[in-house]
Amino acid sequence: MIVFGIILLAAVLRFTSLDNLPPSLTWDEAAWGYNAYSLGINLRDEFGRFLPLTYLESFGDFKPPLYAYLSILPIKLFGLSPFATRFASAFFGVLTVVIAYFLTKQLFKTWDHVSSQVSSQVALLSAGILAISPWHILLSRAAFEANVATFFIVLGVLLFLKATSRGVVSSTPPRWNGFDTSVLCLSILSFVLSMYTFNSARVVVPLLLFGLIIGKRKELLKMKKQFLISILFGLFIFSPLFLFLQTPQAKLRFAEVNIFSDIEVVERVNMQIENDNNAWWSKIIHNRRLAYGVEYLRHYFDNLSPNFLFIKGDGNPKFSIQDVGQLYLFEIPFFIAGAFLLFRKKEGDWWIIPYWMLISIIPAATARETPHALRIESALPTFQILTAYGIHHLVSTISKIQIKYLIFYLYTFFLIFNFLYFTHNYFSHYSKEFSHEWQYGYKDAISYVRQVEDQYDRIYFTESLGRPYIYFLFYTQYDPVKFGEEVSATREVLGFVHIENFDKYYFAKDLQELPKQGKILFIDTPNKVPDGFKIEKTFHLLNGERALIAYTL
Amino acid sequence: MSKKYYILILVIILGVILRLYKIGEVPPSPDWDEVSLGYNAYSILQTGRDEYGEFLPIVLRSFDDYKPALYTYLIIPFIKILGLNVIAVRLPSVVFGVIAVITTYLLVNELFKRSNIALLTSFLVSISPWHIQFSRIAFESNVGLSLNLLVTLFFIKGLKNPKLLPISFILGALNLHMYQSNRVFTPLLLLVLSIIFKKEIWKNIKWYGISIFLAFILAIPLLFYILSNQNALLRAKGVSVFSDQTEFLKRNTNKLENDLKNNDYLGMVIDNRRFEYAKSIVSGYISHFNLNWLFISGDIARHHAPNMGLLYLIELPFIFIGIYGLLFGQYEKRTKLTVFAIFLLAPIPASITKDVPHAVRALNFLPTLQVFVALGIIQTFQFVSNIKYQPRFNRGQALNIKIKYLIFFMYISFFIFNILYYLNQYFVQYPIENSMDWQYGYKEAVSEVEKIEPMYEKIVVSNMPHLDQSYMFFLFYLKYPPNLYQTDAKNASGGFRENHIFGKFEFRPIEWNKEIRGRSVLYVGKSSDFLEDARNIKTIRFLNNETAIKIVEK
Repeated sequence: MIVFGIILLAAVLRFTSLDNLPPSLTWDEAAWGYNAYSLGINLRDEFGRFLPLTYLESFGDFKPPLYAYLSILPIKLFGLSPFATRFASAFFGVLTVVIAYFLTKQLFKTWDHVSSQVSSQVALLSAGILAISPWHILLSRAAFEANVATFFIVLGVLLFLKATSRGVVSSTPPRWNGFDTSVLCLSILSFVLSMYTFNSARVVVPLLLFGLIIGKRKELLKMKKQFLISILFGLFIFSPLFLFLQTPQAKLRFAEVNIFSDIEVVERVNMQIENDNNAWWSKIIHNRRLAYGVEYLRHYFDNLSPNFLFIKGDGNPKFSIQDVGQLYLFEIPFFIAGAFLLFRKKEGDWWIIPYWMLISIIPAATARETPHALRIESALPTFQILTAYGIHHLVSTISKIQIKYLIFYLYTFFLIFNFLYFTHNYFSHYSKEFSHEWQYGYKDAISYVRQVEDQYDRIYFTESLGRPYIYFLFYTQYDPVKFGEEVSATREVLGFVHIENFDKYYFAKDLQELPKQGKILFIDTPNKVPDGFKIEKTFHLLNGERALIAYTL
Repeated sequence: MSKKYYILILVIILGVILRLYKIGEVPPSPDWDEVSLGYNAYSILQTGRDEYGEFLPIVLRSFDDYKPALYTYLIIPFIKILGLNVIAVRLPSVVFGVIAVITTYLLVNELFKRSNIALLTSFLVSISPWHIQFSRIAFESNVGLSLNLLVTLFFIKGLKNPKLLPISFILGALNLHMYQSNRVFTPLLLLVLSIIFKKEIWKNIKWYGISIFLAFILAIPLLFYILSNQNALLRAKGVSVFSDQTEFLKRNTNKLENDLKNNDYLGMVIDNRRFEYAKSIVSGYISHFNLNWLFISGDIARHHAPNMGLLYLIELPFIFIGIYGLLFGQYEKRTKLTVFAIFLLAPIPASITKDVPHAVRALNFLPTLQVFVALGIIQTFQFVSNIKYQPRFNRGQALNIKIKYLIFFMYISFFIFNILYYLNQYFVQYPIENSMDWQYGYKEAVSEVEKIEPMYEKIVVSNMPHLDQSYMFFLFYLKYPPNLYQTDAKNASGGFRENHIFGKFEFRPIEWNKEIRGRSVLYVGKSSDFLEDARNIKTIRFLNNETAIKIVEK
C-alpha cells in the first residue's frame, strides 16, 4: 500500500506537465525525438543509417543509441512531441523508484527474522526519498539517456543479488537450475544495455560487475555453470559495442573533455623544478603524473563537495534548480549517520553501497566540468539508501529519548518544508528563470517560419543558439527520407556534423555572410540584428528577454 | 624521565625548528595586517597611543577593521628587544604556536589518558601545514587557537582541581580581546564544556561562579566599548553574509514579485528572504567539510602553500577511520563529546561570513582533525599488526609478517614523501610563486627611497591595488616616529581608499597625466601607473621576476 503511494508520488512528480517543464527541448532532446521518429518510420536514423546498433552520429557526438529505440513506441503512441520524447526517461525514472525498493530490501536481507522488517523499512524509506529526490526528478523530466542507464544498472544489481542469493538460502545442494541462469543472464543483459545507453556506464558497469563478482565469489563458485553461461552471453551481446569502442570516433569525445590534456599542469611542475635548480629529487616530487593524480582527485572530490550535494547542486541549471542541492538539506545528518552505521553494523550486502557510490564518480572525474550531476547519476540510489539507513537507525535511537515526539515533529516539518521549497521553486519559478538554458524560442520562431515561409525564397536561421536544424526537423516533423535527399552537411575535424541547409532553410553563425539572393527571412539573436533592417517579429524568453528576432531587408 | 617525555621534547624541538627556520623570509614579506600590528605596537611602545592617537586601545582600529588589540601588546616586548622588524612581529605567533603543540599533548593526554595518542597528535600538530602556516605569521587567530586549547585544558583539569577553573575562564575572556571569531567561539566552547561536565560543575559551583565573575570583569571593557562605539561592529557587518543585500537577494526578489502576481500565498512564505539567509549560513558551515579545501587546494594564497591543502593528503583515510573509531570505540563518552563538540563548533564563526571556507576563521578545527588522524593511524597500525593472528593465514606466518612490514614501510614512505613535498612547496616554491600575495617589494622600495629622499621635495606613493595601504608599509620600514605621524595624520581614516599624508610623503592614486613634471617629485607605484616619459630610477621585482614596484621621476 505504501509502496503504491510512493510509486504514485514518483509518477506525479515526474509526469506532471512534462510537455512544458522543462520549458523547451535541448538540442540533444530534439535529436533523440527526431531519431526515434525516423527509426519508427523506416528503421533508419536521421542520416539514413539502417538500424544503428552501436551509435547515432547525431551532431557528431556518437550517442549510444538505446534511448532512441526506447522512444519509438511513445512517439508512435503520442506523436512527435516533447512529452513523447521525454516519456522514456520519466517512465524509467518511476521504474527506478520501484526497483530501488526491491533492491534495498534485497541488500539488507539476512537470515534472521528481525532483519526482514528492518530491510523493508529501509527499502520503503529509500524508495520514498528517491521518489522526491531533486536530483532524480530533474533528470527524469528531460530526455537524459543517463537516467535510463541508471535504471538498467539498478535493475542489474538487483537481479545479480537475486540470482546469487538463491543458492545460499535454499538448503538443497546447488544443482543445474534454469531459473538462476536466466536471472543471472537478465542481470548481465541489463548491465550491458546500460552500456548501450550512456557513456559513463561503459566505465562504471565493468567496475561494478567486477566488485560484485569478487564480493559474491563464494556463491558464484557454487553455480559455476550458470555463471559461465551468463558471462558468455554477456560477452556476446557486448561484442558489437566493444568493436565500436576501438574506433577513433569513440575515443574522440573522451579526448576532448578530459583533464589529462591540460598543459598548465606540466608547465607548473616544470617551473617548480626550475625553482629547485633542477635538482634530481625535485623531478621526483614534482613528477607530472603525480600532479595529474592530484588534479584527478580534485575533480573527484568536487563531486562530493557539500555545496554541490546539499546547497546549490550542479552549476548547470539543466541538472539543478540552483536553489537546492542534489540532495535535500534534511538528509545531511542521516546521510552521515547512515554511512558510519553501515560500516559499523555490516548488515547484509552493505559493502555494495559505498563501493557502488565511489566507482560511479570515477569516469566523471576525468572530465573538466566537475561536479557533474548527470555523469555521476549512476551513483543513485546509493545516496538515498544511505540516508534511509541513517533515518531508520537514528529514529530507533531517538525513540529512547523523552522529547522524541517534539524532535520527530520538528524534523518532519523541516522535511516537508524542504520538499515544498524544492517543488515550489521548480514548478513555479524554474521555467521563467532558466528558459534560456533550455534553448527557449526555437519553437515559437519555427512555427512562425512555417506560417510565413511561402512568402520567402529562403529562410536564414542563426546557429548562435546551437544546432537549429534539428529543431526544424523536430517541430515540422520533417520526412526523414526527404531530409536525407536534401541535406547538405559537412563534417569537421573533430567529427562534429555541421548542417548547412535543407529545403529552403539555411544555417550559419553569421547570416550576413550568406549570399543575398531572392526574398530572404532572417532569424537571428537580438545582438546580431544589423541596423536598417525591418523587424518582422520578436520571440521572447519566458522572463521577457528577447531570444530571437525575425527580420527582412 | 620516561621515554615519552624524550619523544615529546623531540616533537617540541621539531615544532620550534619548523616555525623558526627562515621566519623573516618565508612568507617573503609581512602583509598589511602584520605591518599594521607591528607599527601600532611600536607606536604604543613609544607614545602609549596607536596610530590614531587612541590611548592604550582595547580595540585596534587599524584599517577600520576595529579588531581586538591584544596581539599588538604581545609584540611590544619583542620590539623592545629586536627593534621594529618582521621577526619581532611574528615571534608572538611562533611562541604561541609552540605552546599549542605542548598544550595539545597535555589536553589529549588528559582526555584520552593514553600518551601514545597524545604524542602522535602533538607530533601531527607540529608538522601540520595548517598550523605551521599561521604560526609563522602574525595572525591573531593562531594565538586565539592556543588560548582556546589552554581554556579547554584548564577547564578539564579544573574539574578535579577547582582552583584551576578561574584560569580557564580568564584565558577565555582574554581571548575575546585576541580575535574576532573567538568572540563567538570561546563562549560557545565554555558553554558546551559546562554542559558536558555539568555534574562536576555542580559539585564545584562556587569556583564556577567565581570564574564566571572574573571572566565577566575582564569582558566588561569590551562590552562597554561595543555598546558605546558605533564602529565597533563595522568589520563584523562588512564581512557577514548580510552585508551586500542587493546582489544576494536579486533572484529572491524576482521570485517574490512572481508570487505576488500569481497570488501564490504558499510561495510568499517559502520565498521569504530569511530562509535565504538561513540557507547561506548553513552553506557557509558545511563548506568547511569540503575535501578539496582541506586536502587539495585550500582557499586564498596567503592561507596555504601552493598546490597543497590545509592537511596532508596522506591523512585523508585516517581522518575517516579516526572519526569512526572515536564514534564507536572504547573511549569515555565525555571524551568523545568534547572532541566532536570542538570539531562541530569550529566552523560556526566563519559560517556567517562571506568568504567561506576560511582557513583563518576556522582555525579552531585544530587539533581535532589531528586527533582523528592519530586515532586512525593507531587503529590501522593495530589492525595491520594483527593480520598474522588470523587463523586463515597461519600457514604462511613468515610471509604475513613481511606483508605487515611492507605495508608499514610503504605508508611511512608515503608520509615522508608528503612531508618533503610540503616542505619544498612551503619553503622554496611559496615565496617565489606568491610573493605578490604577500605584498612583497616594500622593504627594497623603502630602503631605496630612504637613500635618495633628501633630493626631493615630495614623494608620491600609489595606494591602488596591489599597493593598497602602502602608507603603513612606509611607516613600518621607515620606523617613522609615531608622535610625528599622529600629529601629521590626525584626520585620516583607515578606509581602503583613504589618502594619507605625512612628512614629505603622499599616498594617493597616481594619475600620470596630471602629475607635475620636474625633479622635485619622486613617484613610487606599479608599472601601469606610469607612461613612457617616466624616468626610471629603480624597479623592484617580485621573486618570480615580475615587476612589483617602480620608482620614477617625471
